[in-house]
Order: sequence, then structure tokens, then C-alpha cells
Amino acid sequence: MIVCVAVVGHQNNPLYIQSFTEADDALKLHHIVHCSLDVVDERVNNPRKSGPTLNETFLGLLYPTENYKVYGYLTNTKVKFIMVTTDLDVRDADVRSFFRRFHAAYVDAVSNPFHVPEQKLQYQVKAIDDCSLQTIVDYCHLSCILDGI
Amino acid sequence: MQNYPEELQTPPVRLISLVGCPDLHPTISTHLLSDQPPIHTLAFPDLSKISFLLPPPSPKDSSESSLSSPPPGIFKRDWLLKHRTKVPAVVAALFPSHHVSGDPAQWLQLCSDLDHLKTVTRSRNIKLVVIIVHSDSKDDINEDRMIALRKRAEVDSKYVVFVNPNDASELMQSLHRLRSIFSELANTYYKDEGRKVKTRIEKRTYNCTELNIRYCFKAAVYAEFLSDWIEALRFYEDAYNKLWEISGIPSKALSIQRLVEIKTIAEQLHFKISTLLLHSGKVTEAVTWFRQHITLYSRLVGEPDAEFLHWEWMSRQFLVFAELLETSSATSLTIPSLGLGTGNKPLTEWEFYPAYYYQLAANYLKQKRSSFEFMLSMYVNVDELERTTESLVPSVYVGQYSRLLEQVDAMVMQTVTDKEFLNDTIAKEKKHQDPLKMITLLKKAYESYSQAKAQRTSSFCAFQVAKEHYAMDDLEDAKKHFDSVASLYRREGWATLLWDVLGYLRELSRKNGTVKDYLEYSLEMAALPISSDFHMLSLRSQDCCPVGPATLEQREKIHNEVFNLVHEKSVLASVEHGKELKVTGDNPVHLEIDLVSPLRSVLLASVAFHEQVIKPGMTTLITVSLLSHLPLTIELDQLEVQFNQPECNFIIMNAERLPSAMMDGDQHDNRVEQAPSLALSSNKWLRMTYQIKSDQSGKLECTSVIAKIRPNFTICCRAESPVSMDDLPLWKFEDHVETLPTKDPALAFSGLRSIQVEELDPEVDLTLNASTPALVGETFIVPVTVVSKGPDIHAGELKINLVDVRGGGLFSPREAEHIADSHHVELLGISCVEDGAKSHLISDEEMKIKQSFGLISVPFLKSGESWSCKLQIKWHRPKPIVLYVSLGYSPLSNEPNAQKINVHRSLQIDGKPAVTIGHHFLLPFRWDPLLLSRTKANPQSDQSLSLPLNETCILVISARNCTEVPLQLVSMSIEADNDGIEEKSCSIRTGSSNLVDPALLMPGEEFKKVFTVTSEINPSKLRLGNVLLRWKRYSRIKDQHDSSIASVLTTQKLPDVEIEFSPLIVCMESPPYAILGEPFTYFIKIKNQSKLLQEIKFSLADVQSFVISGSHDDTISILPKSEHILSYKLVPLASGMLQLPRFTLTSARYSASFQPSMAESTVFVFPSKPPCELAKDGDAGPETCGPISTGLS
Repeated sequence: MIVCVAVVGHQNNPLYIQSFTEADDALKLHHIVHCSLDVVDERVNNPRKSGPTLNETFLGLLYPTENYKVYGYLTNTKVKFIMVTTDLDVRDADVRSFFRRFHAAYVDAVSNPFHVPEQKLQYQVKAIDDCSLQTIVDYCHLSCILDGI
Repeated sequence: MQNYPEELQTPPVRLISLVGCPDLHPTISTHLLSDQPPIHTLAFPDLSKISFLLPPPSPKDSSESSLSSPPPGIFKRDWLLKHRTKVPAVVAALFPSHHVSGDPAQWLQLCSDLDHLKTVTRSRNIKLVVIIVHSDSKDDINEDRMIALRKRAEVDSKYVVFVNPNDASELMQSLHRLRSIFSELANTYYKDEGRKVKTRIEKRTYNCTELNIRYCFKAAVYAEFLSDWIEALRFYEDAYNKLWEISGIPSKALSIQRLVEIKTIAEQLHFKISTLLLHSGKVTEAVTWFRQHITLYSRLVGEPDAEFLHWEWMSRQFLVFAELLETSSATSLTIPSLGLGTGNKPLTEWEFYPAYYYQLAANYLKQKRSSFEFMLSMYVNVDELERTTESLVPSVYVGQYSRLLEQVDAMVMQTVTDKEFLNDTIAKEKKHQDPLKMITLLKKAYESYSQAKAQRTSSFCAFQVAKEHYAMDDLEDAKKHFDSVASLYRREGWATLLWDVLGYLRELSRKNGTVKDYLEYSLEMAALPISSDFHMLSLRSQDCCPVGPATLEQREKIHNEVFNLVHEKSVLASVEHGKELKVTGDNPVHLEIDLVSPLRSVLLASVAFHEQVIKPGMTTLITVSLLSHLPLTIELDQLEVQFNQPECNFIIMNAERLPSAMMDGDQHDNRVEQAPSLALSSNKWLRMTYQIKSDQSGKLECTSVIAKIRPNFTICCRAESPVSMDDLPLWKFEDHVETLPTKDPALAFSGLRSIQVEELDPEVDLTLNASTPALVGETFIVPVTVVSKGPDIHAGELKINLVDVRGGGLFSPREAEHIADSHHVELLGISCVEDGAKSHLISDEEMKIKQSFGLISVPFLKSGESWSCKLQIKWHRPKPIVLYVSLGYSPLSNEPNAQKINVHRSLQIDGKPAVTIGHHFLLPFRWDPLLLSRTKANPQSDQSLSLPLNETCILVISARNCTEVPLQLVSMSIEADNDGIEEKSCSIRTGSSNLVDPALLMPGEEFKKVFTVTSEINPSKLRLGNVLLRWKRYSRIKDQHDSSIASVLTTQKLPDVEIEFSPLIVCMESPPYAILGEPFTYFIKIKNQSKLLQEIKFSLADVQSFVISGSHDDTISILPKSEHILSYKLVPLASGMLQLPRFTLTSARYSASFQPSMAESTVFVFPSKPPCELAKDGDAGPETCGPISTGLS
């Protein structure tokens, strides 16, 4: 199941970070999201290595920690989406699809006329996206999440 | 990796044994070791010793294959070591040749030795080589003996080798041969052994997996001996997979010891596989294999009591793999392209970094520690445990432990129960706990990530390191790491992570007992952008910092703690020093907040002047705005606004707190303002506008704002201009209401914290007068007048600067510095005019003069008074300059640091030359010496002037006034050059050097003076010297002042002239005038000065005006040093200016002809004798070269 979703601005500052665990590892997830930015940087700076993922927004699996898998997504405006999941067997296509929907939700959120670009998103996302993100918490399976979002 | 036995860490090396003839052993073993791949040597000096080291295989070993019950262990601990160091593949027996060919006793001894050796080797299938050492090539061994020897030893003839240690080349050959034989036989041996093991595996004569694993391992090791890495890898993998068969059955509960054994073997097999994969460059496969290894075994946690063993094992796996990866990537740095992993599980970049594995190793170690501590807590009394258990030792099988019992004759290994084993392990673990191990691992990960430029992950590792230090109470190291981590989180705006780090730092400073740090960290935490609806962290976290989770409530709590401390309501208990921390008069706290301080969100001061420029003494408005992001409102006692001009500083007092603040008693002389309230609420600008006035011109800048809260706590905040104020790094991403620091929005975007105070308008006249251009050489006077019109002039100072008109700084050109007087124009002095028009030169103390700069103090002048001085400037060369004069004075008082007003004036002055001096030479009238250089002269060639030797010439010097003012010439003279160095080569005579009455030279007029020059000796060049012309400006007013003007000396060098000996001189003599009809005589004298006979041809042309008698045409010869005179009698037939008959003279020797000029051959004929007395005929001879009167022309 997805345990954490984060939006990170182009100065690597957190814009939105939400975890869905009952356990007390929220801080740990913050660290995981922050460390995964190193991998995003490396992928962006050395696109040669990523081969087929060149020019693609989906960055794929960033790195496996002991219990989590971290996926990344980079928009054209250099805003990064990070997703942490505990599922060990995830299909790339599912993650891609998740990110695409999440991107759409983000675009909706920042289209809010009261939103100042490059500022935190908490209120907007809450207003627009609360129910859809809550769905993620409720469903453990990624495919179910994608239906819900 | 270092804990592994040596034989496991390195690939196996083939082993052979040498027996007998110990002298040769070092030579052979060195040679074999240098081979590629190397062969190790086991040397025995004596044949008899070999049986001790190579005991025949025990019968149990041979019967092993038939056993159907599982063996007590999987691997024997010493098997690998045995094959690497004890069991050789080949035994080479060395015999001296005389033993072979010697007497029968020796031969018999040899035979028995061989037999003995054969029994030892044959049982183990070891190959035998016989080496015969012969000292002399002449040694011939009986052929029969050789055959007998071969038969005895049962070796092929090619395995009997002769070695002659005395012949170097032969020895080398033999060594090469030996090496190939050893290599071949060793390969055969290992191949045979390997085949034997493989047959056993194939036949499956046993039914337990353990033996299968053992045989696979052995087969792999034999393959490694043969450097067959692929086969070795295959068998290792087989062994590994078979091992998993016995361990991976979940239903089968394994005992603790069994699990330890299996994991130890899995670790060894995995190590071998990883090493082989990495050495063959298959990094991706190695990483994939490792991942699989971890996935498989991470499930085998085992019983809860022994869980810590599992975590330790896991940690070790990661550590060893990290080290392997590090060593292999150091040699071949090729991280393969991604996506090579299995389709659904692609590998990520970090799985190729050793850092990743170090980090995880540390994580597992942490897990081990916590599980071990939990374990210990379950035991009632641990000390008891330590005492009762006796130490267990590793048993003969890998991964097994047993108790060593001392019996009567030997030591006996006794198996132990799981409980005993566990107790023993816990006791050992407790004894050997190493708290620094984890820090070491984390530091490695930190360094490795830093190298890979993964700063965030390396910071995370640093954070973990810091937490470990903190847990160990190593506060200094902890602070260092926490600080570096905090700076990254501050930069990137991760407030929650920063909160965590700051929580540790705050606690650290409390432990350290540093109140200032404690307050700084607390304030920074309280001002972090964490709001209450940031609910995700409201859950209580185990890992959370000592302060607690990041919430608004916590912020407020910290805020209250800080201000309770500041208000001296509470004290803080320091852990470290056992003392209380408090803010008191003895221990005041002063915080500095600069432009990059993280505390800017605690207090931000923005200062804006309402105007940009003011006049001194005028008032303007200044707005001081303060902003705080602390969660609760804070009340300031007073604010002090500081400027770069201290007299402008002012203090704003809080009216509510006034009585208590007044008690401080440290009131300055500064202005004190009162504000109704100085309450600073969260995220709301506190704006205050006050009047300000400055009397001092220049820049008035607000430097800082000091907030005082209670007498002992101050915060000094650098003032910032609204126009250039940076956003707060953490708050700029927050979605909060932003307000402007000033009410006026324009001021909020353009306001500055500094203002320009103008100078007062000067009320003084400063005039410079110079009507005419300056003349080179003279002391040019520029009068300067200062007239005060308004206030008095105090401490006036006049600065004078001479600047090149073309700009480019001062006019002492750098390229001309080598010239003695590099200054073309020079300020000589300043003379002052007193009231009584009496001038005097100012003393040196009053003025400071350099060549182009002068400084003079102006006396005190009342309003309406004037003062003047004269600048004396001298031009060395013609040059236009600009004269800058600036007067600085103080209108009010005489204090040295009082406000000054400056007035500037400038004047351009041209420096021009006063006179141009010219000259020309004249020869005596009708006196023409033959100068050979002139006849040969090329008209184009620029030849210097030549003069005849021993003749008197006339030099006319002219001086032209090229200025616009009349000049007065005082004197003109010629001064010899190089006085005394050269002896007098000529005499220059003149009338008087000084003119009796100084000549007045109007503009454009020319003055001439005549000198005679007689060369006396014959130098090639004659130096005439310099013309010295003394002059001064002509002034009509002949007053005393004017006469004081010193005359100026202008010098010009005369060009050098050539002096030449003239062989012939033609001189014409006629009377100065003639009278019509009266005859007169016309002489032409030709003087031969040479020592040669001169042939001269001459002719005389007839003219109508004269009747001539004398030869017309002839050729004459003139003797050396003699003179020939041609004389003609002429009767004038007409009157007036008449042309004498012209004659032409040609010298054959010099092929030079001469004809007198028209002026020379002209005479005036009177119609009748003039009535006046004329000079006598004789006096009117040739014009002599006497002094000629000077005069103006």
C-alpha cells in the first residue's frame, strides 16, 4: 500500500507531504522522501544512464529501502512527485498511471487562483483532493487506488 | 570481511612439496612463486619428516561416502586450509647425484627413502617427481642406475630432472622445465581430485544433502585451484542452492545452532560467489545475486531469543558486500547501465554504491542492538549468566560450537544444547559490545555518499552518526554533525526534519550548559513554519527528538519556556555540569541576528527612510518595522535604533514598561521616544515612524536595531532595507498572509535604510586669475583670492592640484620618470599677500607642497573679509595644464572634526616657449677658402656645416619673441660646452655679454647678436657650446614689485660644426668705391696653403662698364705655401652700382672651379669725386673681421 506521497518544489523544498500510516514512522518517511531527491538529481543530471526514460516524466523506481519502495516523477516545471509504497511487487504501469492521475490532481490544485506559485499546497490539496487521497489510504492495492483517485 | 579466515578471502593457490637437498629449495620456490599463476612450495629438508606432515588419510574418511546418516557437520573447518598449506599436489624428491651413482650403501638408503615416500604419496594420489642434483656436468650416472631409479620411483623418464646449481644457464633451463612439470602434474592432481568428487556427486551414493553440499564445495575449490572460475562458480552456486534446500523449508523448525551453522555456510558460499562474480566484472549479476541472497535469508529470523544473531548476520552480509563492492569498484569503475536487472525488479543506481550497503549494515546493526537489549532485559540476572557459562570454542565443523572438555589423555569436544549455546553467545556479546562499530559504518556510508555527491543521503547518515554520538554523550561530535545537517534542512526548507535536528541541538546545549545556544535553538524551533493542521506528525514517534513532535503546541510550549527563562521565572537544569542555567545580570544573553542568520524569522528588522536625500539639519521620517514568526506575542521593553552617525541613535521605550525600564539607569544621551506598546504578534509587522535629523553630511545609515526584553536579554538585529530584503528561507514557501513592512506600498518596495545628507551651500568666493599664457622657464604667478560672503571661515584649507589637461591623472608621465625632472610643470611655492600688500613667502609649516600638489591653510576670515595668495608655477616644457583649487572650510567652529564645506575652482593654463633662438655663420667678405667637402658634397646629403681652419668666421645668433607679450632681454652669451674637459679648440669673441640697456623685444620681433669664431686647432668637430639668453617679462609699471621678477635663463645648444683645412684661398681686393674715369687696381690673390704645387686656370670676362688691363686667360702654377697675385687696372666708364669683370678660377688638382658671387663682384662708381672726406685708398682694403657693432635689426 502507498504509505507516503510528496510533492517537492524545484528548489527541493517540500510543497506537500502526506503519509498514510497508522504507525509512528512519519518522520522516517520524511527522511526517505528527502533522500530520494538525491536519486532524482542523479537521474536528471545523468540522463544517459536511464536510457529509455530519457525525456520521460516518470523516473521509475528510485531506490529500495528495507521495507519500502520509492518511485519518482518529474514534471516539466521541475516539480517532483515522490511516492513511497510497501508493496514489494508493483507493476511499473500501475505506478505510471498513479502518477499521471496524481499529476492531474496537482494541476487542479495549483490552478486555484488563490494559490501562489512555489508555495506549499496543503490547503489547496486538502480542498480539492481530500477525498481522492483518502481513498489511497483506504485501499491497500495500487490498482484500487488508481480507480479511486 | 577481515573476520574471514585468510584461505577464504583469497583464491586457492597450487601447492607442491620439495624434499631433500635444502640448499636448492629457496631457488626453486622463488622461481615457482613468480610464475603466473603462482605455485606455493612446501619444503622439507629431510625425507623422514614428510610422514609427520602428511599422515595417511584416516579410514573414516574413505568410508564417508558409504555413510547414509547425515554427518555431524557440513564443512570441516580446516579442510580448505589443509589443501592450501598441507597437502601438496606434487612431491619432488631431490637427491644428490653421488647418492645415485655412489656406493651401494648410499643407493640402498636412497631406495628405502623412495619407498617410504611412495607409500605416503600413493595413498593420497600425490604425484612424484625425482630431481637429481649434480654438481658437475662431467658427472655421468650409470644408465643402469637411472633405469633402476625410475623403476623404483615408478615415474616416467620425463619426471626425472637433472639440476646443476653451479651452471647458471643450465639451472635456469632446469627451473623452467621443473615449473612446467610441476604445473602439469599439479593440474592433473587437482583435476583427478575434482573428478573424484564430481563422480561422487553424480553417483549419489549418499542420501543426505549435507554431503552433497560438501562435495559441491570441494569440487568448486578444486576448480579454483585450476583457475576454472566458471566451473567453480557453478559448483558454489550448486552448493548454495542445496543449502537452501535444507534451510528454506519453513515447516521444518531449525534449532538455533543449526540455523547458525547454515547461515555461516551460506555466508561463506555467498562470499565466494560474490567475489568470483565481481572479479570477473559481473557487477550486475553480483548485485542481483546479493539481493536474492538477502531476500532468501532475511526470512530465517529464527527463534525470538536468538533474533539478535540474525540481525548481526544480516548486518555482516551488507558490510562484507559493501567492502567487496568498494574494492572491486576501485579497480574497475564501471557501473553498468541500468535496467539490466530482472525484468520486474530493475536495479537502481544506489545498489551499485557501497554506501548503500554500509548504511543498511548500520541499520541492521541497530536492529541487532535493540533486539539484544530487549533480550538482556528478559534475563533476570545477567551477571550470573556471565559467571556460570564457560566459554565455547569453534568445533571442527564450520559454524558449530562445542565445549572443550579436558580428559585424561586428550581434549574432547562435547556438543552443547541450544540453551547453553545461547547463554554463551549472550555472555560473549555482552563482553565485546562495541558502541563505535555502528558509528564507523555510518561514517563510511556518509563519506561514500558524499563522494557520490548525494548530499541529502549523506546528511541523513550524518544525522544518524550524530544521534549515536548523542546517545553516547559525545556532545561535541554530535553537535558538529547536527549543525551540518541542520544547515542543509534550513537551505531546502524541510521544516519537520529541521525541527528534529534542532530538538537534539537544543537538548545538547542544555546538557552542555550554554544558555545562549539553548535560547537560539529554542527560538529557531519556535519560529519554524509548523502549523497545527500539519497533523501528520502529531502521532507520537519513537524516533522523535527529545523535544517532541513538531506541532504548534510544542512551538508554543518552547516559546513559553524561553520567555520564562528570559523573564527569570524559571531556571534550566543543566545535565552536564549539574548547575542551573538562567539569564541574570551575571549572565546576560545577547543574540546577534545578521542577514544570513536562521534567527531572522525570530526577529526581522526593516528600516526605511522616507526620503532619499536631505539637507543637513532638515528632518525626515524613518519607519522601523519589526516582524516575528514566534507563535505567541512577545513584549519588548525597549528598542534602540543605531546609525553609523552615533548622534542620530534613538531609543524607543515601551510606555507600559517604562518604570521598570527606567530602572536600568543605562540611559545614554540619545533621544528617547515613547511607544504606547511594543507588542510583537506573530507574523504581523510592528511599524513605527519617527522623525530624524542629521547635521553631518554624507551617508546616514541605520545599522542595527537592538531589542531589549528584560534587562539581561537583548537581540541585536541587523537593519535591512525593504528594497533588498530577502525572503525568510523557510517561510517563503508557506502559504500565509504576507504584509508589507511599511504602510506606504511604494516605500515597502523601494525604501532604503540609508539616506544621503547633502553638504551646506558654500558662501564664499574663490577666484583664480591668470590672463596670459605662462612662459616656459619663468615663475608664473597665479593669484588666488578667497572672499567670505556669508559665515566666517574657520579652519580653511586650500588644496592645489596640477593636472594634465588631457586627463589621465597627474602630469608626471610615467614613461619620463627616468629623466631627472620628471615634472614638466611644477608648483614651486605659494606666497601670501597680507593686508598691507606686503607679500611674504609662507613658511614650510603652513603649507605642504609636492611637485603637483599643494596644501595651505587659510587663516580665520570674518564675513566680508578676503584673503589671497599667489601660486608660483614653473613650466619646464611647453604643456597645457589644468589648475584645480579647492577650499575646504568649516562655517561654524574651529573643531578639527567639524562639518566641512568644499568649494572647487579650476583654470586651464597653457605653458608656451618665450623665445626661439636661431643662428647662422658668415665668412669674411671677398674671402673664399676652398673647402673640399663642399665641392664633393652631395646636395641631398644633410651634411653639417663646415668651417675653414685658422680662419675667422662670423656667427649671428638671433632670438625671436614668439609670445604675445613684450619681453626684455637682459643678456645673451655663448658658453662653452664641457668646460675643462676639452681644451680650447676655438675662440669666440664678442662685445659685452650684458646689454647696457636691456633690449625690449616686442611680440614677433627678432634680436640678433654677432660673434666671431676662429678655430685654432684641427678637431674633426667643433663644439660651439650653448647660447644663454636671459630675459624677463616687460612691465610698463616700473615699481618695486616688478623689478623683483627674476630674469629667466633660456639655454639652447648650438650645433657642432666641421673644421676643415682649405688648400686654396681666393681673396679679391678692390677699393670700396671708384670714381668715373679714374683708374683703380683690382687684385685677385690666390693663396696656396697646401704642400703641393697647384695648377690654377683662370679667365676674366670683359664688361662694358670698365676698361681692363691684364691677362684675360691663363694657367698658372702656384708653389706650396705661396701666394699668387693677379692684378688688373680698371677704368670705370659708367657710374652707379657696377659689376666688376667676373673671373672664373679652376683648380686642376681638385677639379673645382670658383666664381665670386654677384654681391662680391660689385663696386659703386661715383660720377665725380664726392665732396666729403673719404677714407684713404689703403684703408679701404678687404673687409676685416673685427668686432661688428651689435644692434637691433
